This record gives sequence, C-alpha cells and structure tokens, in this order.
Amino acid sequence: MACAFSFAQGEYLCGKPLPEHTGKEESHTATNGHTGENGFDVVCIGGGGAGITAAVAAAARGAKVAVIAKEPAGYGDTRISMGNMVFPGLADGDSAEGFLSDLRKSGEGLEDPLLARIMAEGAPLATAILEEYGHIFTRDEEGRLSAKVLGRTGGHSFARTVTSGPAGGVPIGQVLRAAAARAGVTVFEETVACRITTESRRVTGVVCFDLPGGTSFFVPAAAVVIATGGIGSLYYPHTDCARGATGDGFALAYEAGAELVDMEQVQFIPFAFTHPGAFLGLYCGEPALAGPAGVLRNRDGKMILEGVSRLNRAEVVRAMARELVGGGGTGYGGLLLDLGPNLALPGGRDLWRAMRDRGQLDLVRKAYGEAACRWEEPWDVAPTAHYLMGGIKVDASCESTLPGLFAAGQAMGGVHGGNRLGSVSLAELFVFGRIAGEAAAERAAERTVERAAGFDRTARPDRAGVGLNPAGLNLQSAGKGIGAPGRYSPMALQRELQKMMWEEAGIARRAAGLENALQALAGIEKKLDDLCIPPGSVYNTGVLDAIELRFMRITGRLIAVSALLRKESRGAHFRLDFPECDDRHGRKRIVLWQEEGWMRFREEGAP
Amino acid sequence: MIFSVERQRALQAFQVPLTEGDTVLTTLLYIHENLDSTLAFRHGCRTGKCGLCAVEADGKTRLACQTTVVPRMVIGPLSRLPVLRDLVVDRRRFFDQLSRHQLYLAKQQFCLGSHRFYPESRQFCQDDPYSSLPQFGVIKEPAEHHNLMACTECLCCLAACPRYDWEDSSFGGPYLFVKLAQLHFDPRNTTDRRKQARELGIGECAECGKCYCPNGIAIYKTAIRPLSGHK
Ligand SMILES: Cc1cc2nc3c(=O)[nH]c(=O)nc-3n(C[C@H](O)[C@H](O)[C@H](O)COP(=O)(O)OP(=O)(O)OC[C@H]3O[C@@H](n4cnc5c(N)ncnc54)[C@H](O)[C@@H]3O)c2cc1C
Ligand code: SF4
Ligand code: SF4
Ligand code: FES
Repeated sequence: MACAFSFAQGEYLCGKPLPEHTGKEESHTATNGHTGENGFDVVCIGGGGAGITAAVAAAARGAKVAVIAKEPAGYGDTRISMGNMVFPGLADGDSAEGFLSDLRKSGEGLEDPLLARIMAEGAPLATAILEEYGHIFTRDEEGRLSAKVLGRTGGHSFARTVTSGPAGGVPIGQVLRAAAARAGVTVFEETVACRITTESRRVTGVVCFDLPGGTSFFVPAAAVVIATGGIGSLYYPHTDCARGATGDGFALAYEAGAELVDMEQVQFIPFAFTHPGAFLGLYCGEPALAGPAGVLRNRDGKMILEGVSRLNRAEVVRAMARELVGGGGTGYGGLLLDLGPNLALPGGRDLWRAMRDRGQLDLVRKAYGEAACRWEEPWDVAPTAHYLMGGIKVDASCESTLPGLFAAGQAMGGVHGGNRLGSVSLAELFVFGRIAGEAAAERAAERTVERAAGFDRTARPDRAGVGLNPAGLNLQSAGKGIGAPGRYSPMALQRELQKMMWEEAGIARRAAGLENALQALAGIEKKLDDLCIPPGSVYNTGVLDAIELRFMRITGRLIAVSALLRKESRGAHFRLDFPECDDRHGRKRIVLWQEEGWMRFREEGAP
Repeated sequence: MIFSVERQRALQAFQVPLTEGDTVLTTLLYIHENLDSTLAFRHGCRTGKCGLCAVEADGKTRLACQTTVVPRMVIGPLSRLPVLRDLVVDRRRFFDQLSRHQLYLAKQQFCLGSHRFYPESRQFCQDDPYSSLPQFGVIKEPAEHHNLMACTECLCCLAACPRYDWEDSSFGGPYLFVKLAQLHFDPRNTTDRRKQARELGIGECAECGKCYCPNGIAIYKTAIRPLSGHK
C-alpha cells in the first residue's frame, strides 16, 4: 500500500492526520469452544497485578469475569519485580500529603493531579489487598509493619517502602494466582488478546488467540479492562522487563478508538549490564546504589557525574545519554560506574556488606567478576527500558475515553507524569486495579439493565464482524497466513524494530532520528503483508511473534510520534535538539488517538 | 559448536557459535532468531525469576537462563509432564489445581480505621468496606514460609521426581506439596494442609530427595517432612 507518511513537522502541528493502516479482513467462522453462551460482564486483559486485582474486584461485585493472559496467570513484570511497595504514613512525620507532594514534584507537571491523589491516599490499601491475597511483607520482630522495616527508594523524601525479601515479586506472582482461583474467575492462560471489538463506540468483546490450541475465538464482554503492562520489549535487549512487555495494550486501545497520553515518557533505569550477551539490559541498580561517593566516568576515566545517588532516574539517564551521544561510551556502549570511593568513607564497608547481604551484588559477580563485586573495579553500565509513564488516558474510575474500556496498572497513563518514583508501580496495580474492576463491573451492570430493556448491543461472534482466522493475524493485518510462504520473518522484523527504537526513540532523541524511526516502522508495516509464519497449530510461537510484531509497530509509532511532538525535554523524554524544559508555552500533555483510520493528536494544557 | 534439542522425541542438532557467558537460553534465542523460528520454548525474565524457561540440560532439570552452555549439550523438555511442542510443556492444569485443592487462604478480615479514600473521584465506592485505611494485624512469618515462597513454580521438581506422573492423580508431586507447605506454614491458614497432603499421596513419597530445586528450596526437608510427619 502506498505509504503517505510525511514527516514535515508542520503537518503534525496543524493536526493533519497521519494515515493508519486499515487492513482488509477475511471472515471465518468462529470455532469457539471456550466461552459460555453469554460471554462475560468484565474481561480483564493481562494476568499481572493490575489484571488480576481488577478481575477479583469485579467478581466481588458480582460480575461474571474472565482474565485473558498471554503468559500463565500471575506473571508479567509483577512477578519479576523486586516486590518493593510504597507505604506512606508509616514513618514518623510522613503522610499521604507528603507522598503526594513527592509524586507531583517528580511528575514535572505531566501527572494528573486527581490520579496522583488517588494513588497517594490509596497506597496503604495496596499493601492490605496484597497481604489479603496471601503475601507477607517483611515485618519487624513483633510481626508488625512499622517504621523499622521501611526502605528508602529514590525520589521519596521519606523512607516509605515495604519490602518482600530476596525473592521479590515471586511470592506476589504466586498469591495473585491464588487470588484469581479463590475468586472463581475464568482464566484463559497463554491466550493473546488480539483485538477489542466495538459497536457504535461501545466495547463488545475481545478477539483472542489461544497459543497452546492454535485457534482464535471471540469473547463477548460488556466491559474490558486493559492491564497488559509495559513496553520494555520494544527496546530488547536493552530492557529488564519480561518478554511479554510488547506494548500490546496501547495498540489494542488505540485501535479500538481510545485516547493515549504522553506516550513519549519511557522510563529508563540508569544502571544495567552491557555485557556479556546474556546479561545485556538486565537491571543492576538505581541511582541510590551509587552510595554517597559513587561517581560515573566515561571511557577515559574522566568523571562525568557525581552525587549520583541524589538524582532521580531521569536526571542520571540524561547525563549518561549526553556522554554516550558525545562518544564517551566504552566499547560496550556503556559508562563506568565507580563505587570504589565509597569504600574510603567511614561506614563504606558496611554499606557494601549490606548490599552484598541483600543479594544485590550476585548478578554483578556473575557478569563482571569478583573485583567488580567488591567495588574495586568499576562496572560498565548503560540505561535500560523499564516502564512507561504515559499510556491509556483514563478518568478517576479508570475508564478510557471509549465507554466500557478501562485500563489499570502500567497500561494506564497519567499517575506519574514524567517520572515514576521507585516502588510506586506495584502499589498502583492494586489501587487502580481495584477501581477499574469495580467500575467495569458497574458499567457491565448498567448494560445488563439496558439489555433487559431491549437495548441488547452485546455482540455475538457472528455479529462482531471480525475475521476469526485461526492465524489470529488476518484479524487486521494481512499476512498470508500460517504456513504460507512469505518473505519476512516476524522475529527478524522484531529485532529490527527494537534496534531502531533503542537508537532513535531511546534515551536521547532528535527530530531526524524520530522521523527515521517512523519511516522504518512504516516499512515494517508493509512487510506485515508478506510474513513467513511457520506451519503448525499447537504452541506455534511464530504466530505469537507476528501478533506481537504488529502491536509493537503500532505502539512504537505512538511513542515516536509523541516524542516528535514534544519539542522540549521533560521528565524521561530527552530531546537533543530541544534540551530545555519549555514552560513558556505551558505544560502540555500530548494526546493521540485514531479516527477513521488516521492518527490524530491534540495538545492539552496539563491539568 | 553443536547444540541439540529434543523435538517431538527426535533430536535435532544445530550448529551455533559459542561466546563467553552464553547460556542455554541465549543459545535457544539464537536458534529461534537465526536458524529455525519454529523452535518453541518459554522464557520471561532472563534472570532466574519467572521460572518459565525450565528445561532438561543433559538430562538434568535446569533453568535455561541460569545454565552455562557447553559444546554438545542436549536440551529436552521437562520429563513426566505433557509436552505441547518442542520444549514447551502444558502448564494450564496447574492453575486448575489451585481451585481443586483450595490452594489459597480463606478470605481475610480487614480491620478498618477511618480514612478518606479518593474523595474527588466518582462516588461508586462509597459503601465500600475497603474505602478507609486498613489496620494491619500482627503476622509472624515463620522462616519456612519465607523460604518456600521463593518457589518460582518452574516445575523442575516434578520432572525430577521418580514417583510423579501427570496422568496419575493419586500422587500430587513435590510442587504441589510445596504449595501445601506454604499454606501450612502461613500463620493465617485455617485448613488442615497435612490432611490434604495425605489425600494427595504424600505417604507414597519414597523420601529419595531427587526433587532437586534449582532455586535452592530444600523440598524434602522444608515441605514434605513437615507435611508427612516423617522424621
Ligand atoms: C525488574 C523489575 C523490577 C521491578 N521492581 C519493582 C518494585 O520493586 N516496585 C515497584 O513498585 N515496581 C517495580 N517494577 C515495576 C512493576 O513491576 C511493573 O510496573 C508492574 O508489575 C506492572 O504490572 P501490570 O499488572 O501493569 O503489568 P504486568 O505485571 O507486566 O502484567 C501484564 C500481563 O499482561 C499480559 N499481556 C500483555 N499483552 C497481552 C495480550 N495482548 N493479551 C493477553 N495478555 C497480555 C502479559 O503477558 C503480562 O502477564 C519493576 C519492574 C521490573 C521490570
Ligand atoms: S523425595 Fe518424594 S517427592 Fe521428592 S523426588 Fe523423591 S519421591 Fe518425589
Ligand atoms: S519447588 Fe523449586 S523446583 Fe519445584 S517448582 Fe518450586 S522452584 Fe521449581
Ligand atoms: S527466563 Fe525467567 S527464569 Fe529463566
């Protein structure tokens, strides 16, 4: 198809829509052995903390609920997290207000004040919900959660984090499974949501692909909660996120017609390994890890940043980005984090020992050896993609601009603005997951009333008007189908996309690079018509690769367009060509959505 | 280097480069990216946390991302579990087990204080029992509970247990015993987990200790013995 992309900036500015692929569809009969006759009141997409909490909350309100999870239930970034959760108000002098002011300070004007307030006031509830599911946070000798057990994470003005011990999120993942089982919700494991269907701008259901079975099916739903987590895998291998973080939810929401906000705000953690290959991108530390005296040096040993531990993630990443772009990087594309100076300080050894005992140096030893582990040699580190602050635009009940479509967890945008403080994400999953689940149940109940009154708009598979090709692909993108000869390997295209995202839409951005990225994404889009998907139905990962590629392309484009539109550096977004924060024109939130196949945007005064 | 993968019971050899620090997972990814995109395997975190990459490496149960690759290595799926394709075993049945055996705590009471919760948002949660700040009770977590909760659910122990067979429901297997023991040691648990363990055939455990856990859980000592009452 002719690609009418034009990258002149003026075009974005005057709001001229960009063309979006509208794909042709083939209709197939649904072979659906999965759903009950009437579908579900609430379908939650994603089986991490946010998705399961939403499902449990909706079920508690009497809704008939399903969870659709690309991995087994209870996985995602939630399971591989460190299990640190913010708990304001426990330390002397700390309060929800204090937490709120930290949130708002770090958001750099992009956070939604109401969502931030809900986050701040609701945070302790997150701990309560998770413990009610079966988790136990580290407690003091008396078995209490008290000021004694709190940890301190970067950007917080108080110690206000409860912790989970060395296994981190692993126990959390287990109790999430238990909570879903206890609530009796229907769980479709290893099932990919491919498309959200709508009728007259109302959600009607979800088209899914069942990976082990190799079939597509349609789940009718009165309300849908997107809780698909983040975008780390768009930057693979420069990410510490789980494999499934391919930005599916943003693409699903976008295609369904919901609005997205500040998609350019990708958070990178400053310190990740740069080698060997098996470690590339894996988390090695926060700014706080640098200790009082840790410094960053460039390839020549010249100090480029001191006082590292006093800065937030974005500030450190920005300093690193400047040096890396300027050619100061090591052969591995990193910088040298020198923690040695800490050893000379009084108490320096204790700091090291504490870190070792918490297991924080285990990976370092494996990757960089004993001397590095003892802080005697600097570590080669580079930033790694971790979290997306932007996302699906929602109101205080987590409903998107598309009625009946909700979002929670990392998939929703606006709580954190331009920066996310450590340990706030896990709490947000439970706070907003619960709100989304309850609100979705309410929406569904309203629709049940409508149904009774004869306004039944709930789609059945035959009325949904979607192709249910077993490839799960012809749903919207073309592709010749499973087993047919095509020219392009989905996996190879994914790697191409990831490399391009890292280079052009990563830690340092400029107009020309972002335009390259958009060109490349348009090129990939064309190739989607000519994919080579290996034959086979049962657990055909080639199909999964292709579905994810499609999502990654759409979400990548949202990130790149938003980054191009934000002509300033703010929060986690760093433009080499606009290095300053532009407050003259007021703080703007960038909103993107699709209308009649075109990408539209609007700049909104930050609330 | 030659690297072989068992696929549908037949071994397929791949010629792959070997670089320092390569793991079984990086090698599988290399094959998937460059040689054969039909090769099916699971992974999630690359760092030993998600447990999804469990395979058998030269006949030993291992996490692919935590296992250094050596020439002529042979990789197969976990034994004793139903194989879906290549290295992928069917995991779905394990979710069903959670409901079947009530592998969760009974619903807990929240003790509520008075605290306003999202005052400006829509009022649909007004009558909600959670709508104020909860008070946290005392929980003294036994060390055993803490250790057992580090289980990544990788299923390696099932593959290593000579007594386990997924088609024979009379013996739950070490993974299920670990799940029961987690609950047994949870101070909030109100169900007789030992009785459940007996019903799930813990008496038939040969006490052979072959259920090796790559995550360092001493399964026999911390899960099976306390549940079965063996000395
Ligand atoms: C290494 C690491 C450590 C972290 N540590 C902390 C910490 O200590 N404290 C903290 O607050 N935050 C931490 N975070 C961040 C936090 O863990 C995540 O932001 C959070 O867990 C996201 O939860 P979620 O429920 O939104 O998404 P996830 O937990 O990622 O779950 C999303 C789920 O949706 C599924 N999914 C995706 N697409 C589809 C689809 N199309 N169809 C069906 N299912 C789909 C995925 O497979 C996944 O299971 C950490 C993150 C990482 C990567
Ligand atoms: S000790 Fe029991 S559970 Fe463990 S491997 Fe032997 S028979 Fe199986
Ligand atoms: S006990 Fe160990 S081997 Fe068994 S599933 Fe858990 S982590 Fe894996
Ligand atoms: S990939 Fe997660 S444990 Fe190996």
